Amino acid sequence: MALEDICGFKDTPVHRKLKKSGRNSGIPLQFFIPTLPNSVPFNPRPSLPFSPSNHSVTVSRPFPLSHGTTTLGFIFQGGVIAAADSRASAGGLVACPAVHKITPIHSHLVVTSSGSGADCMLWERILAREIRLYQLRHRRCLSICGTAKLLSFMLHPFKGTDVCVALTLCGWDKEVGPKLIYVCSDGARLNGDIFSVGSGSPYAYGVLDRELRWSLSKEEAISLAREAVFRATHRDAYSGNKVDIFHITAQGWSQRKREDLKEEYYRDMERRIMFT
Amino acid sequence: MALQDLPIQFGQISTVQSCGAVSYQDSILPSLSLPTSLPLASSQSVPLPFPMSHGTTTLAFMFQGGVLAAADTRSSCTSADCALWKRILARELRLYQLRHGRRLSTSGAAKLLSHMLHPFKGTELCVAATLCGFSGPSLYYVCSDGTRLQGTLFSVGSGSPYAYSILDQGVQWGLTVDEATSIAREAVYRATHRDAYSGNCVDIYHISSKGWTRRSREDLKEEYYREKERQERDGM
Repeated sequence: MALEDICGFKDTPVHRKLKKSGRNSGIPLQFFIPTLPNSVPFNPRPSLPFSPSNHSVTVSRPFPLSHGTTTLGFIFQGGVIAAADSRASAGGLVACPAVHKITPIHSHLVVTSSGSGADCMLWERILAREIRLYQLRHRRCLSICGTAKLLSFMLHPFKGTDVCVALTLCGWDKEVGPKLIYVCSDGARLNGDIFSVGSGSPYAYGVLDRELRWSLSKEEAISLAREAVFRATHRDAYSGNKVDIFHITAQGWSQRKREDLKEEYYRDMERRIMFT
Repeated sequence: MALQDLPIQFGQISTVQSCGAVSYQDSILPSLSLPTSLPLASSQSVPLPFPMSHGTTTLAFMFQGGVLAAADTRSSCTSADCALWKRILARELRLYQLRHGRRLSTSGAAKLLSHMLHPFKGTELCVAATLCGFSGPSLYYVCSDGTRLQGTLFSVGSGSPYAYSILDQGVQWGLTVDEATSIAREAVYRATHRDAYSGNCVDIYHISSKGWTRRSREDLKEEYYREKERQERDGM
């Protein structure tokens, strides 16, 4: 891939002959392990002019990182809903009011990201690349559980460092149906029916716990997701601006048009005035 | 009027002294005057034997029928700080009533509490109180870092974010008392469901021009089982 060539990363085969089942037809599982600056690399790379040597230098950041966001995902009878706000904050600054926090990986999987924005973008690309490589090598799509496990193993070397990603894989498996798995850089990998991640997540949980039922219709589920993100952005300073909603079914994912939560706020105000 | 009759609720965020430091608390109980005579809490911090993160969920909001307040009843480690400040405030309000022949208004009580807490600003004392009163319905939030806010809706404690979203959805001025009670109960229930530090039962108080009434304490375990049954019926 282009990114690989430019950065000079080499795909290092890990655990040769890890799984020699009939399905894999003898090809060892390979995936990407970027080398940490302070560790000895598997294959000593040709020394680049700026390659970090064995000195450990912590770079002080010019601005504080913040992990403010509200993302959520839940399963219901009509599939999986994933929703997120669109604010990227750095300390008290709104660095960008129109970020995409939900990224499709393939036709039946989207991933919602929270944590450090830069880390999430990188790891989403890495994940998409690895899933595509797996598909090309083994002629089948990796299951959602397998994707989560792969991501978790790729993140493991960075446990204890400053890498901060918390991704929720929302997808539809051919065999199993709707699936929702939370993977984070601390090493957690959790299967579940409802997840909300980020600084606004407690606010979203209150709304979701109250009204989430299996038997919701598609429109009700979407409006529940929108309401939950709206309530979270109302109270949490680090979430806001717009809401993105994705709906994943057996036919794949579909995205709703982005909605500005300012409109929702004015509608809510009007409704209150009518009832007082 | 007994000390316990005042419609005041405290939501504790965290506290400083460990369970064993009772004698130190006694030395704080002062003479009958203003906070300036209180000995300051010691500036060197005693290392605590275990981490002291407390939690609770309390909430209060105003509506056409007065003020509604609710709280869970799971008491983590020390309620000593809370109990202490409640007694101090109650005592000062009673003294004011005896000296001046009339009750202090809620905003006056809030100011008094805020001034009493001020010498402890910067120490590890942490008390947050939501004062609900009815000299005209009023609601004040007072915290030991100096905050004193008037408002129509407050929730305090580790479970407060979960409660806030439910309250934002449902609280309007025109609620009846029953509707307000059920929203408050639902909000505390949701918070106790998600927050590990809140739980057990919910206490609901209603303050109106006639005084305060306390509704019967309800165990949230029952609510949880009722909801599970409802979900099973819906086919979840």
